[in-house]
Amino acid sequence: MKLNVKIKRYNPEVDDAPHWETYEAPADPLDSALALLLHVKWYEDGTLTFRKSCAHGICGSDAMQINGENKLACSVLVQDLVSGDGDTITFAPLPGSPVIKDLVIDQSRFFEKYRSVKPWMINDGPAPERERLQSPEDFDMIEDSTKCIMCGACTHSCPSTWADPEYLGPAAMLKAYRYNMDTRDDGSDERLEVVDSSEGLWKCYTIFNCVQSCPKDIDITRWLSALKRQAVTSQL
Amino acid sequence: MALETAERPKAATDSNRFQWYKVRTGMFAWMLHRLTGVALVVYLILHVWELRALTDPDAFNALITKYHAPIYKIGEFLLLGAVVYHALNGLRIVLIDFLGWSPNQKRLFWTLGAVAVILMVVGGYPIIHTVVTHFFG
Repeated sequence: MKLNVKIKRYNPEVDDAPHWETYEAPADPLDSALALLLHVKWYEDGTLTFRKSCAHGICGSDAMQINGENKLACSVLVQDLVSGDGDTITFAPLPGSPVIKDLVIDQSRFFEKYRSVKPWMINDGPAPERERLQSPEDFDMIEDSTKCIMCGACTHSCPSTWADPEYLGPAAMLKAYRYNMDTRDDGSDERLEVVDSSEGLWKCYTIFNCVQSCPKDIDITRWLSALKRQAVTSQL
Repeated sequence: MALETAERPKAATDSNRFQWYKVRTGMFAWMLHRLTGVALVVYLILHVWELRALTDPDAFNALITKYHAPIYKIGEFLLLGAVVYHALNGLRIVLIDFLGWSPNQKRLFWTLGAVAVILMVVGGYPIIHTVVTHFFG
């Protein structure tokens, strides 16, 4: 089938503001949305810029707003975006961060927030002879949150993040959950100091946009709620 | 070779509060919660302001008579709706945050939404009845 591919274009060297452009592209219902962008770039307009690397939902580089919702372009099928021939699919950069060019956003703030929650194992105890063991039951608690590929779809779908650029956002706080609930980790207090703040957990109003947009179907709100409970009970 | 990234645009610190985004159950529930919350705060301020009349029996009676007009009855119904929705969705958020009911958030919204409608019909019946008889005999 033939589809209209409507893309929000912006080149800071030429344009004063972003504008929409529409291209025609042939598509198979089982193509990924990314295939449409690649067709436009290869056959229609080589100046189109977007991030993509593995194209298989692992690297997390092609998160963007597709049909008004944040998705991973490589992980969403054309048949789930349109109902038939001649339909339009819209592509825009993730909302809430500065646009560098076309669909590429400046992720520096996103990764600053990520680093601020200390997303690594903190354990100053003596190193065991072999490895720090974790039981399957202990891993079950954090398994869902370990699936995060840091694509940024969630944080850029969050109205609290749009309104307050300093808000840590779901991705960073999910990492805090992932390490705080890890039984091998001793750094909970350090991370709670960061997330139990006015720019942290308490600006999560359970809007669920993050859960809707996560390409790995992580129930982010559920884990942030658990982190809220940890923050409260740690004060008792 | 490491790339020099200093030339890249600095992350803006301004907010982008308003975005076009597909509204799903969770965001709809939140927007309605915010809207009813702000409306209730405005109502409370007006309510307390009007209560000044309590010091003067005549003024109080005049106000009570005024509030029997259909426009105030409709307002009363909207007030009931705002209170019922805000209270029940507040309960939904408590269940999500305290008991971890996040996986059931959509079902919870529609269930409590149905309860809200029932409460509005039952509690609002005298109001609706008054307004209907006023306009249609």
